[in-house]
Amino acid sequence: MKSLWLYLHFPHLQLDALYSAEQESAPIVILHGKSNIVLQHNKAAADSGITFGMGLGTAAALDHRLQVLPYQYDIEHKKLQEIAEHLYLVTSDICLFPPDGLLLRIHNMLTLYGGLTPYWQTLSSQLAHFNVSYHFATGQSPYAARLLARTQWDRISEDMKLLKQQISQRDLRHTELPSKTITALNRVGIHTVAALLALSLKEVAKRFDIDLVTYLGRLTGEFHHPVSFFHPQTHFERYMELLYEISHTDSLQRPLEHLLKSLEHFLKLRDLLTQRIILRFHQRDHSPLNVEVGSAQGEYQAKKWLELSALTLESLKLQAPVYGITLTTGSTHIRTPEKTDLFAGNRGALSYLQLISLLQAKLGEAAIRQIGLFDDFRPEQANCYCAASGETPMQLSQRHTTRPSFLLATPQRLTEQVSVISGPERISTGWWDNKPVVRDYYIGRTRHGKWLWLFKTPQAHWFVHGIFS
Amino acid sequence: MNSILEHLKNKRLIWQANQQHEPLLRDSTGFIELDSALQGGFPQQGVVDISTPIGIGELRLILPAIQARQVSTKRLLVCIAAPMQINGEMLLESGLALDQVLIVQPDSAEHALWSAEQCLKSGCCHSVLLWHPALEVHQVKRLQLAAEQGDALQFIFRQQHTVSLSLPVSLAMKLSAQSQGVNVHITKRKGGWPAQPIDVNMSQQWPQLTLRPRAPNVIAFPHSKVS
Repeated sequence: MKSLWLYLHFPHLQLDALYSAEQESAPIVILHGKSNIVLQHNKAAADSGITFGMGLGTAAALDHRLQVLPYQYDIEHKKLQEIAEHLYLVTSDICLFPPDGLLLRIHNMLTLYGGLTPYWQTLSSQLAHFNVSYHFATGQSPYAARLLARTQWDRISEDMKLLKQQISQRDLRHTELPSKTITALNRVGIHTVAALLALSLKEVAKRFDIDLVTYLGRLTGEFHHPVSFFHPQTHFERYMELLYEISHTDSLQRPLEHLLKSLEHFLKLRDLLTQRIILRFHQRDHSPLNVEVGSAQGEYQAKKWLELSALTLESLKLQAPVYGITLTTGSTHIRTPEKTDLFAGNRGALSYLQLISLLQAKLGEAAIRQIGLFDDFRPEQANCYCAASGETPMQLSQRHTTRPSFLLATPQRLTEQVSVISGPERISTGWWDNKPVVRDYYIGRTRHGKWLWLFKTPQAHWFVHGIFS
Repeated sequence: MNSILEHLKNKRLIWQANQQHEPLLRDSTGFIELDSALQGGFPQQGVVDISTPIGIGELRLILPAIQARQVSTKRLLVCIAAPMQINGEMLLESGLALDQVLIVQPDSAEHALWSAEQCLKSGCCHSVLLWHPALEVHQVKRLQLAAEQGDALQFIFRQQHTVSLSLPVSLAMKLSAQSQGVNVHITKRKGGWPAQPIDVNMSQQWPQLTLRPRAPNVIAFPHSKVS
C-alpha cells in the first residue's frame, strides 16, 4: 500500500487563538519580536493594506488603529496541541510540526472512512470547530505534503502522478532545505524541485552534503521518514489569552464560557464527568490566582459549570488585571446514566454504592460504617460498626428484647438518682475468652424522664451502659 | 407600609394562604394521637426539626414511621453524627433491616451537613437522621431542597432550643418527657396551624419503657410523718 500523508498548515494560529480576534474590527498584527516584521494579521489589517513581512513602521503608517502583539511560540504550540487532541477523535496518526503544522498519516484511515473524500469531509468538519484558517495538501511523503500545504495547494488527491508533478513545480525556496544549500543550488542553476530531482542521487551526494540526499529521499518517499506520533492527554488543560486585560470579575464570564464549552466538548466526547475544575487567572505583574470550583455530583455541562464558577467568582478579588485564563480539570470519572422514574419527576440519581463512594471520598473510609451484629449476650461483643460494603455481617440466632438505642463506648458510673422500672436481666458469660461479664441489667428512669440502661456489678457498683432514645 | 410587608415576607414571618401549592402527602406516624395532631402523619418529604433532650423516647417516636418507609420503599436509612454508638439490636427489634442502615461519622458539623445533603439528594435514602447542635436558615433551605429532590425525609435532632428563629422546615416539634411516652409540642407545621401540646402514649408499643399509670383508688403515702 502506498503511503499517503496529509499536512495542515495554520498560517496565523496565534491570531486565531486570540479571544474573538476575528470579529474585531480594529486591525491586529502579530509581530516578530526581534526583526519587527509582520508575521500574522487579521482581515481588518489586510483591508488596510498590511501584508506579511512588512515592517512595523509601514504597518502603523497604513492604519493608526493598529494593535500590535508580540509573537509567542507557546500560544501557537498549545493551540496546535489542542487541535491535534481534537482531530485524534477521527484520525489515529497525528504528528505535530510546531509551531504551525500538523501531519496526518491517512492511508491507513481510508478503509475506515471509505475513501479520501468522506475522510476529508469528516476531518474538515472537525476543524470547523476551531474557527482557524488553514491550508492543506496531501503528499506521498511527509515532506511532500508539507511542501504542498505551505505553498497553499489546498487540494486532496491520491493520484501519485499528480502529486509528483505538483512537487516538481515548487520552488526550492519553499522547501525545508537550509538557505545555504538553496543558494548553492541556485548558483548551479537549480531553482525548482524538478531540476533537483532530475539529477541522479549519486551526483548530488558527490557535489553536496548528505543532508540534501536525505531530504530528497524523504521528499520522494524513497527513504523512510521517522516521525513520532502524538498521544492525547488524559486530562483537560487549556489556556486562553485575552485580547484585553480584564480587571472585573464580571467580564471574565464571557471568555470563561468559551473555555467551559470546550471542556464540555472534551468531556462529552469521552463520556466523562469531573467533580472539580481549576481556573488559573494569569495576572499582570502578579502571581497567578488559582480558583477551584467543585461539584459533588460531577458535571460536564458548560452551563452548570458556569453557574458554579459564577458563584465562586463573586467573592473573588483580583489583585491585578487578568491577561489569560487556564482551565484544568481534576480527576474525571465515567458518567453513569441517570435512572429516573418517568412519572416521579426529577429525582436524585445515585446508586447505593455510588453514594457510599461519594461520602467516602470526602469524609474518609473510616467515617462510613454499617452495623454488624453477632451472636453474643454481651452487648459490646454483639454490636459492631464495620466497613460499609452493602452487606451486613449478621449471625444471629436469637433476639434480645428491650435493648437501648444508644450504647456508651465504655460504661459510665451512675451519678444521678434513678428509679428502677424493670429488671433485673442477668448476663453472666464470657468466662472462656478473657472478657468475662457478670452484670444485672435494669431499666431506669431519671427524674427528668431519661430512660437509662443500667447494670449492677457483683460488687454492687452501678453503671450506665445505654440510653433508650 | 408596603416595605414593611415586604420585609416581613422576606423574613418569612408572614404566611400567606397562596404559598401552599399542593397538599402535602403524609405518612402515618404509628401513633393515633400524633397522627390526628399532624392531620395524617409526618410529611413524605422535607425536613422535620425535633428539639428534644436525649433519651426520652425521641427515636421511639419516629421509628414506626421509618420502619414503614423502609418497608415500602426499600431504600436506605442514614444516621449522621449520632451522639453515641447506635445499637443494632434495637434497630432489629423495631423491624429495620440492618443492611439498609448506613452510619456516617463525620469529623465536623460542616461535613455532617454536607453528607446529609448528599444522602438526601442521592435518591437512594428514604430517611436521614441528623444530630446537629444549631442550624441556620440557609442550611435548612438546602436540606429542604435536597430532600425534595431525592424524595427523602430529614429528621434533625437538636438538644438546646434556640428560640424565635423560624426555620423553613416542614415540621418542627418540641419534645419533653412524660410518664407514658412523650409530650409533643408542634411549634411549626407547613400548611397548618400550630396545635396544642399533646401526649403521645407509648405504653402499647413499649410497655417496659413507660410508667404504669397510677390506679385511681391509690392514694400516695404521705412523706411527712404524722406527728
